[in-house]
Amino acid sequence: MEAVLKNLASAAELLAVAAHSGVVEQWDKQTLSRAFHWARYCEHIFSRFHSNPEMRGIMEKQLQLTNQSLRAAFPEYTEVSFSDLSRCQHLLLVGLLNNPELPISIMKILFDTWSPASANQSEYQDVTGFCNHIIQCKSACKVLSPFTGASAVGADAEVQGVMLMERLGALLSRGGEACRAEHFLDSVLQGCEGAAEHFCLVIAAALLTTKNSAAQTASQGFLLDWLHRKHSVLQLMCSALPAALLIDLAKEHLKFRDAYCDVLKKWASDMEYSVSEGEWVQTSTKRTVSFQKLTEHFLALFEACPPLREDVEKELNALNIADGDFDVRGLSVWGDLLSALNN
Amino acid sequence: MSQLQPLIQLHQMAESLMNSQEMQFWLEKAVTWGQADSPDTQEDTCLHLSRLRDFLQQLLAHINNMSSTTETMKRLPFLGQFLGRLCWNPYVTADATSRRLLFQCLWGLYSEHPGNAVERKANQWIRKVFCQLATEEDDAAAQALMKHMGVPPEEYHLKVLRKMVALLQENIGKSCSSICNINQRCSCDRIKATSEACVPLITCPEAAPLIGVLLQQPVTCVRAALSEDFLDALSSAYSSQCLSLEEQAVVSLWYHNLSSLEEAVLSLLECVLANTGSMPQKLEQQLAQSLLPKACAQHCAIFLHVNDIFRSILKQAEGTESVKYLIQTFTSCFRRELVLLQHQTSVSLKALFPQSPQSLLVPLLTLPSEMPREAWRHHLNWLSGSLQRLTEEEEEGDGDSSSSTRGHHKLFEAWFLLVQCAQWVQVAVQLLVTSGPEDCGPLLWLLTFYHHPTNRGHHRALQLVHAREAWDHLHSLFLALARPLPADHLQSLVTLLSPQPQRPALSPLLILNLLVNFAVFFQQSLSGSTEILQTVVDWSGLVDEAVCVLNSLELRLNQGSCISSDTNRLHLRIKALQNTLTHRREALCPAENQAHALARSKTGGSTYPHTHA
Repeated sequence: MEAVLKNLASAAELLAVAAHSGVVEQWDKQTLSRAFHWARYCEHIFSRFHSNPEMRGIMEKQLQLTNQSLRAAFPEYTEVSFSDLSRCQHLLLVGLLNNPELPISIMKILFDTWSPASANQSEYQDVTGFCNHIIQCKSACKVLSPFTGASAVGADAEVQGVMLMERLGALLSRGGEACRAEHFLDSVLQGCEGAAEHFCLVIAAALLTTKNSAAQTASQGFLLDWLHRKHSVLQLMCSALPAALLIDLAKEHLKFRDAYCDVLKKWASDMEYSVSEGEWVQTSTKRTVSFQKLTEHFLALFEACPPLREDVEKELNALNIADGDFDVRGLSVWGDLLSALNN
Repeated sequence: MSQLQPLIQLHQMAESLMNSQEMQFWLEKAVTWGQADSPDTQEDTCLHLSRLRDFLQQLLAHINNMSSTTETMKRLPFLGQFLGRLCWNPYVTADATSRRLLFQCLWGLYSEHPGNAVERKANQWIRKVFCQLATEEDDAAAQALMKHMGVPPEEYHLKVLRKMVALLQENIGKSCSSICNINQRCSCDRIKATSEACVPLITCPEAAPLIGVLLQQPVTCVRAALSEDFLDALSSAYSSQCLSLEEQAVVSLWYHNLSSLEEAVLSLLECVLANTGSMPQKLEQQLAQSLLPKACAQHCAIFLHVNDIFRSILKQAEGTESVKYLIQTFTSCFRRELVLLQHQTSVSLKALFPQSPQSLLVPLLTLPSEMPREAWRHHLNWLSGSLQRLTEEEEEGDGDSSSSTRGHHKLFEAWFLLVQCAQWVQVAVQLLVTSGPEDCGPLLWLLTFYHHPTNRGHHRALQLVHAREAWDHLHSLFLALARPLPADHLQSLVTLLSPQPQRPALSPLLILNLLVNFAVFFQQSLSGSTEILQTVVDWSGLVDEAVCVLNSLELRLNQGSCISSDTNRLHLRIKALQNTLTHRREALCPAENQAHALARSKTGGSTYPHTHA
């Protein structure tokens, strides 16, 4: 354990030196390879211990200590946290490429275009052409992306969805402390504050990944339960995602279908009749859905899941009766909804 | 030196003039491409990619010729802007070659010891561009998410690329199913567009499955044609070995792109003819490796085209034995592959050999092994007769031009088919050994025709006479029981084998072939046969050729196409003859052997091991 902590401290020092020190001027190919080897080691450490809170805590503390001393040595130093370790090679690269003292010969090694393509991430990867591969990969993605219209969510969201499922699965498989998985999802949500809609897309993609194992089904179930508790996210999903995607989700997961239905009903119940506009409108300040749209949602849902229609209409009818069962438009959202659905 | 200076300056000036005009063109292109990301700009970029590569190559040479970056920037002030724009064009950066050239241009502009502000700024800019290219992330939301999940950017991008390839692969398989509704617009134009977009990705290993699927998807719809740029780029990448394709993908490439097929055939010919077959066994291996016989078996069109190439080669170099042997071996490899596929496809002989005289097809294509031995002579007599009639027809029609061309053509096709099925010629030679003087007429005719299909200057009659003479001499030699060997027969035979300028030569290989067959098959003692063979070969100097004939005879024996009741004895006999000849060869060419020894001693090998006889 001590050895690992020591290594972590050294790795943080390495990152600092790579980014801020003029020592890099002396670097040669060997030094470069060793540096990236260290970075890969850190990534390995991360993958081994990230779901072990005890170990993680100890390592965080060590990093904090190291950060303090490094801050003193390098004023521009950015701190390294445990979660940063998962992308240690990237951090090393960013530091090096932004360091004006980095010899051009080292840069040339990183951008070398003659290296044989390494499709597999082998243990003893050669650092030659590291950046060349990254650029090739990113460019290839850009070239192909106009043609991947077949994917409902987009290839990138699909990949992110798969990764989400993998992480969730890993957390759930380690001795059922469900709260850790919950905490993970919460922190991800928090981290996506500015891009909540994107996160919704990823959740949809995650829920649509093909179920190959019981574990995957369990993870998806967990995600659905979590979603059910996060009303804001659920609502955002229902309003932001394309209708076709929502229908796919409803067809795939009963729990989602019901939750979706509940959201629609909630939207309806929040509506007020506006005489000036001659239409039902949402009372909240942010209007996400119109009455027309709401009707469309319901109709699409019924088309995809026919047995649902009878139950929902029964429910709407009961609500309408409770509202007085008037035949006049504008008095009960339920009545108007029913008539809109039946036209 | 001083005389060269103005010349160099002129050259440079001319170079820079040319470059600034072209520079303007390409700069405008780069600006246009950067402004919009529509399907049209995508198409335009892919269309210009190979020309852009050439231009970048020129630019690179130009940059390297300059003494400093300041000078380069003075001559080409827009260079920086141009390169910068290209860096953000994914089509340019996805393609391995243009990316390499682009990077090299940038490095060329970097100054190790910047002498002024321009150069310092250039250095800074170059570093920044590289840094951004490698580390900038477009999708901040995705990166934030990935950070939470502990996935580094390089892994993420790789996974997304693989996902895209998988999605596209799936989709291509689905498009344009069996019945295409005419009213419905099928999605096959997507295939062409996708193949166009794959032009920069040809050497990208992750894109290989997609390229394979594009190549191999069945061409059911008119719109589903692959882009020509795509096929050309694939073809050149494959031939320069920058790319490895699966067997089926290669076959599909040839099927879609005739020029790549031609290139493959020509390179096979080059390769085979370079090591003029002392080892016929290797030839079959080479042919199998080339995948061409397999491709021909899968697509009739490929077989027809390959044969056209063979025809044109033959017309240029009629007598080349190696080419003829290649064609024969190729055809038999092809037939073996066809048999393997036969349960899947059934192609008629007529479709495979449309130009050959139909009456000759089945007789020639039947293998000797498929016929009882006793029937061979009769069969060959018939073949000889049919071909003779064709030559007579051709000669008759010499007056009328149109019928004579037809006659020529028919005769050529008949001869070409014979070349393809030359196993029968070998059987004829073998039968000549055991023939009596009254039987060998038709067989000799066939043999002469094989070696000399055209009757230029009406020499055939004379050639036949010589062939008959050769046979007579051989017959007598091998019958002779007394020693020493009858000198007159020997001398006459050697004379026939040596090229004489005055009279039309009978192909020495024809005679040699006869000789070797006599040595192997005639009922004569081994020592006797060896002596005759050795003597004739010594006097005529055709050792290598004789060894070659022996080798191919051995191969035929192995393959069972010259069925004999005493195969083992024949094998031993051939082996013995081979040994004698190869020792002879080494003894006869001491200079060559010395050269070999020198080479060996230089590499630290053993001392000269051979002893002269």
